[in-house]
Amino acid sequence: MSGIIRTQGAQVGFNDLKLPGMWSRKIGKDLYEIFIGPQHPGSGHMRIVIRIDGDVIVEADPDMGYVHRTMEKLSEVRTWIKGIPLFERMAIHDACNVTLPYVRAVEKLMDIEAPERAKYLRVLLCEINRIAAFLYGFGIFGVFLGHSTMYMWPFGDREVWVELAEWLTGARLTHSYPVFGGVRRDVPAGFTDALRKAIRYMRKRLEDYRKIFVDNPVIRARLEDVGVIPKNLAIELGITGPNLRASGVKYDVRLNHPYEVYDQLDFEIPVFQEGDAYARVWQRVEEIKQSLNILEQVADWLDKHPRTPILHDKFWKTAPPLYKKIFEETGRAKLGAVYAIMKVPAGKAYERAETARGEISYYVESNGGNKPYRIRIHSASARNALVYKYIVPGHRVMDLPAIYGSIDYFPPEADR
Amino acid sequence: MSGILDAIIKIITWPPLWQLVVLGLLVPLGVVIFILWFERKTAARVQRRIGPYHVSPKIAGGLQLIADLMRYMFQEVIIPKTVDKFPFIVAPLAALILSIVPVVAIPFTSIKAYFPIDMSYSLIISLALLTLSPLFIILSGWASNNKFSIIGGMREAYLITAYELVAVLAFLSAGAITGSFNLVDIVEAQSGVKWFIILNPLAFAAAFIGVLLSTSGFPFEIAESEHEVVAGAFTEYSGLVYGMNMGAAYLKRMIFSIMITVVFLGGWQPYTPGEGFIAGYLVPSIVILVKATILMMIFSFFRAVYGRYRLDQALDIAWKILFPLAVLGFGLGLLEAYLGII
Repeated sequence: MSGIIRTQGAQVGFNDLKLPGMWSRKIGKDLYEIFIGPQHPGSGHMRIVIRIDGDVIVEADPDMGYVHRTMEKLSEVRTWIKGIPLFERMAIHDACNVTLPYVRAVEKLMDIEAPERAKYLRVLLCEINRIAAFLYGFGIFGVFLGHSTMYMWPFGDREVWVELAEWLTGARLTHSYPVFGGVRRDVPAGFTDALRKAIRYMRKRLEDYRKIFVDNPVIRARLEDVGVIPKNLAIELGITGPNLRASGVKYDVRLNHPYEVYDQLDFEIPVFQEGDAYARVWQRVEEIKQSLNILEQVADWLDKHPRTPILHDKFWKTAPPLYKKIFEETGRAKLGAVYAIMKVPAGKAYERAETARGEISYYVESNGGNKPYRIRIHSASARNALVYKYIVPGHRVMDLPAIYGSIDYFPPEADR
Repeated sequence: MSGILDAIIKIITWPPLWQLVVLGLLVPLGVVIFILWFERKTAARVQRRIGPYHVSPKIAGGLQLIADLMRYMFQEVIIPKTVDKFPFIVAPLAALILSIVPVVAIPFTSIKAYFPIDMSYSLIISLALLTLSPLFIILSGWASNNKFSIIGGMREAYLITAYELVAVLAFLSAGAITGSFNLVDIVEAQSGVKWFIILNPLAFAAAFIGVLLSTSGFPFEIAESEHEVVAGAFTEYSGLVYGMNMGAAYLKRMIFSIMITVVFLGGWQPYTPGEGFIAGYLVPSIVILVKATILMMIFSFFRAVYGRYRLDQALDIAWKILFPLAVLGFGLGLLEAYLGII
């Protein structure tokens, strides 16, 4: 890409402006090129090259790939089960959502289905993750706008959900919770009561957020009519998730292509028509409310139904008696040796899920071996990142953090 | 022996020295350290944190700021190759000095013997001196030869044009009420409850927001906005010089607070300076400094509540709201003078 000084080869840099001690290159009359990132306090693990005329951005060039970890290739040299902790690293605070389609795709190839209780447990952790990821995004957004209270509050309240997830799965972030044929653990005793308490607390806190951040006159002035993504542009670029819904398109994988038990749950996905940064904030607030509704229903279901196996019989029948005893006592299903040596029948499968940042899809191909033949991931952030190139130009330099934060872009998920 | 002691005391309490070094530098520095601690503690309270704690748990982390100061003092000062060295080093020094110099033109008592300079035109002189220091922030931005610094310096320049007229007009409205540029007369005119904050709230509001604008207080922390311009004009600075830059902004805010106290909050009123050094100089100074500190505390609380405005929005506010407000305040002052309220 332009702007980079090549150190190998003939071209070692530009010195058009004859500045002492530094490279310089002419980019156009009255234009000023600034590299925001990758070590800039206002960028994530990415770079946005902006060219400004006075205070107005005329060009923006998102430069992704700084945290690329060759995940798709790595998965080809690991056994099937190791793919789960690997793909979690895309978005560690959204771990259940990003690995679920992989698990479901492999289940599809093996022609098995998780027990109903496991499905509810998956939805439980997915929604907990979703809320925690939204709060994480709010915190980053708050600090981008210089609002230090909105930085601290969501990060503090996120702890509630992270600890619930830890109680449920044993890990704060990379849970590795859904496994082929079910989940690893059942809910501990007293979990649903704590969950209900957390739901009540979060509803109260959302009202506090509204008072100090969402309805704050300074924040409104910064966000209204900033970074508008028109409906047709959103569809054209393939933006997904809350950003798409804030632009007036009612598309949510949970509604349009229900997976797990989402079709049995009663929830409404909010849609905003404005498409600006302010609408995207409201979109996320409303989605947290919907996730809380879902969690309430899941808690009710879990209370009403007795503890039944949470792993598919194909795996559970090989478990030694000790494992079954542990499960009866503590609700923990220890994974049998069968997972380490399992082979997946040859075939192709495609699965998708709704993560906190939008739709993630997995294409899984197996040649019948104990390792995947090919896995292709299309993550939400990678699709949402394109938007910077199209909506940032025309805004002022100070709008860039506002737009960046409102998109809730997460570089590790995009780069994979 | 006592003769030498008397001489030393005399030198220290010589008004120009006392006012510039003690009231202008040492006390505001102490207040700034307290305010920084207060700012972090209140923000922590709002944000459900503890704030500074581990350095000195018994006094609620009060020594944390001293520790931070020491860190700045002993950090290596890096001067990049590409900077213009002379202005790069001189600009922050000049900004620091120029932000405390206005204190010589501010009276801390009504007794003539304790004036550092003649007070006849003190309002004009102090305002003129207060407007000098931002020029050196722009200079340090230019001298840094860094894109972020230059943008930060330019933002500072935009903001100067926006707030300077507002702040000057707002402060001058006190001159309009009293018909005098003498700050002593202005304070004396505010005897009883006739403080100018009550008589002329418009000018006070304009001056208050103008000070926020001029000292990068939230919600106008724009010139150093971390997320676009790293540290604005100070991006290339490190160590003590960076600390000086940061300290200059707070010292300037303190001097501005003293100005607001004198002009709008009745100065040393309701106290009346008596005879001698203590009753005639020390006590009224303390009254003024306490009022100014309370004002500083209000300024710093905004950090916990607001984000920051965009540059063009801040300029909009300054030109479309504050400037008319300041003009109205000035008009109100003239009207009150005409009606003879004072």
